[in-house]
Amino acid sequence: MAADTLIAIAVMALAALAAKGGGFVAMHWLGRHRFVSAWLRHAPGSVLVSAAVVPLVHGGGAYAAGAVAGVVATRAVGGFTPGLFAAVGAVALARWAGLA
Amino acid sequence: MVLPGLASLPFGIGFGVAAAQKGLNPFETTLMSASVMAGTSQMVALDLWARPLPLLALAITVFVANLRYFVMGAALQPHLPQLPWYQQPLVWYVTVDQNWAVNIAEYQRGRGDLGKFVGGGLTMALIWTCSTILGCIAAQGALSDPALVKRLGLDFVGVAVFVVVAAMLFRGRRDIAPWVVAIVAALGAKWLLEGNWYIVVGGMAGGLFGAFQELRRDVTGGYDGR
Repeated sequence: MAADTLIAIAVMALAALAAKGGGFVAMHWLGRHRFVSAWLRHAPGSVLVSAAVVPLVHGGGAYAAGAVAGVVATRAVGGFTPGLFAAVGAVALARWAGLA
Repeated sequence: MVLPGLASLPFGIGFGVAAAQKGLNPFETTLMSASVMAGTSQMVALDLWARPLPLLALAITVFVANLRYFVMGAALQPHLPQLPWYQQPLVWYVTVDQNWAVNIAEYQRGRGDLGKFVGGGLTMALIWTCSTILGCIAAQGALSDPALVKRLGLDFVGVAVFVVVAAMLFRGRRDIAPWVVAIVAALGAKWLLEGNWYIVVGGMAGGLFGAFQELRRDVTGGYDGR
């Protein structure tokens, strides 16, 4: 195992632990800093749409079909697993139908 | 927590496949899953995974992608005010979506149990880690053919996770403008910057816009955001 891989995984583990534990530790002043609380309410969704949009723009029709199916299934059926299966299944179907 | 843990099975297998495609071996994948234990951020980090490994970008991305846990931890703390400092890291480690949701409900009903919280979280960690190993091994065997991976739509798993979790988090009208800002900033950053900084730039821009919007609405007395 390469040293840089080990360091990268350790950095990721510490960052995840900092995010998880940060709120626990900072609880005493979080409530008083309204801007931080408001930012925390909006940042996770913004990260997710940012991560999704670039591959979707470059991914072609099959990716677009998968995204639509994923959103519809998640909102209609509810939950993570149906949405994930619908999204991946829609991409497979779209490619089978000839979409890129 | 076995059932919610099993719900992460397809995602874990998908992550394992994606990790193998990025060149991570089963041991590295296992180590990452067991130590980070935050699937969405691991998947986002894979997007950045290229040599030389961008440590700062990885740290910021994983931290920002896990900010929801910051809020969850803040909500949990009042129920565990006397928790000794040496037990706190374990509690932080097992603070993951389903485990937190089930247990915070129990704490609010006055039936919270630290043993159940930690035990449930460790069960989920075990299932999550094993599922990523399965995916990693499958990627080196049955799923080693990139054409087959593409035909089955498995190359979309990573993006699908972002789309599906975003759909789950969507709270209606108040999220629209911040998410549009995030999308525009991400696309602009992708156009202007090397690598995958667009995730950090978009996430920060959307989050900050949402916070400013919310505080301005509070001052001017706009709609309540729901």
